[in-house]
Amino acid sequence: MHGRVRDPLDSAVGQGSALSGQAGGLSHSLVLAAACLLAAGCYRPPPITLQPVNFDEFQRRLAALRGHVVVVDIWATWCLPCLERFPRMVEMHRRYRDRGVRFVSLSVDNREDQAAVEEARRFLQRQNASFDNYLLDENILQAFEKLDILGIPAVFLYDRAGRRRYRLTGDDPNHQFTEKDIEQAVQALSAPRDGG
Amino acid sequence: MKVSWGRLGLVSLAGALLWAGKYNTTVDIGKKAPGFTKLPGADGKTWSLADFQEDVVVLVFLANHCPWVRGGDKDLLQLANEFRGKSVRVVGLGVNLRPDDMMPAMKEHAAKVGYNFLYLHDPTQEVGRQYGATRTPEFFVLNKERKIVYMGLLHNSPAQMMRDGAVHHANGEPTQHYVRDAVRAALAGKPAPVAETRAQGCTVEYATR
Repeated sequence: MHGRVRDPLDSAVGQGSALSGQAGGLSHSLVLAAACLLAAGCYRPPPITLQPVNFDEFQRRLAALRGHVVVVDIWATWCLPCLERFPRMVEMHRRYRDRGVRFVSLSVDNREDQAAVEEARRFLQRQNASFDNYLLDENILQAFEKLDILGIPAVFLYDRAGRRRYRLTGDDPNHQFTEKDIEQAVQALSAPRDGG
Repeated sequence: MKVSWGRLGLVSLAGALLWAGKYNTTVDIGKKAPGFTKLPGADGKTWSLADFQEDVVVLVFLANHCPWVRGGDKDLLQLANEFRGKSVRVVGLGVNLRPDDMMPAMKEHAAKVGYNFLYLHDPTQEVGRQYGATRTPEFFVLNKERKIVYMGLLHNSPAQMMRDGAVHHANGEPTQHYVRDAVRAALAGKPAPVAETRAQGCTVEYATR
């Protein structure tokens, strides 16, 4: 619900542009926007929840997103490259969310370690990760066995039919992935011609 | 696009069948271990694989910053102590290029933890690439002929160091000591009871090229 607080600001600016030439309307919107920003509590990042799911449940949640391009970012608070990469995922989410692309984060932090779980939630909150955030409720060895990866960071991308089309991992020293690979994959899958 | 993916798949499959292990994408059990020459050590000297005369070499890829390395340090020291006096050489190897994983941070970490084995750094990352090492810690056991006889986990309960310094083993007390068993088998001229496991730890950060 809080996520929509931001929209009036966006639409006010949008409306101002549309009413080009009507300087009064534009300045009125800007004054409103400025007043809103000054008022404490006007804009709050949406509260982040970290939902614990086991592997099978996670697969069901993914299946429910069929019809969308889905980007799954697998991470943990102990994985420094994952933390370093995360802001770029949030930024990509902002750019692609209106193009039918859903971003999902999946933490493999130890669910029994309350400090780690809370740290993960706080990190997501700071990053304003306003998408589906899951905590994989599996033993770490089984988690990677089931995900069939050697480790993280790893990013899976699914097409609109729910098929996994990209599996970006660090499992091969000579084929490491970069932000550019993620971006290109998102672009390819979200392109209108990709019926997927 | 589908054609290129298909081709990529075939090439990968062919590569996997020829060279790779079950998890390792680059080397396989029974293959000759890639050599290395004149890597700087935390002891201030340089070392090559050919320098080691012991019957068995345990190579372990490490990274100071990694909670799975820090968590496993005690178990690693225990392993090194267990084979003290035997013809076994334990060698730690760092290939990351982040300052906290390079010299002089490596020297500090080795001194603080009390590493009683060599701790080498490869600034070219070539050794890591040649071994297909992608995790820290990740173990390789080499026999007298310097063939790879085991690769993967130390044991079946990798340990993570928490923020407060506490160590948490993922599966409680370890019950399967893969490296220890592989070393004992190699010393006896026998194959390792378990030859490959899925290593668990932080990612090795290779420069993309």
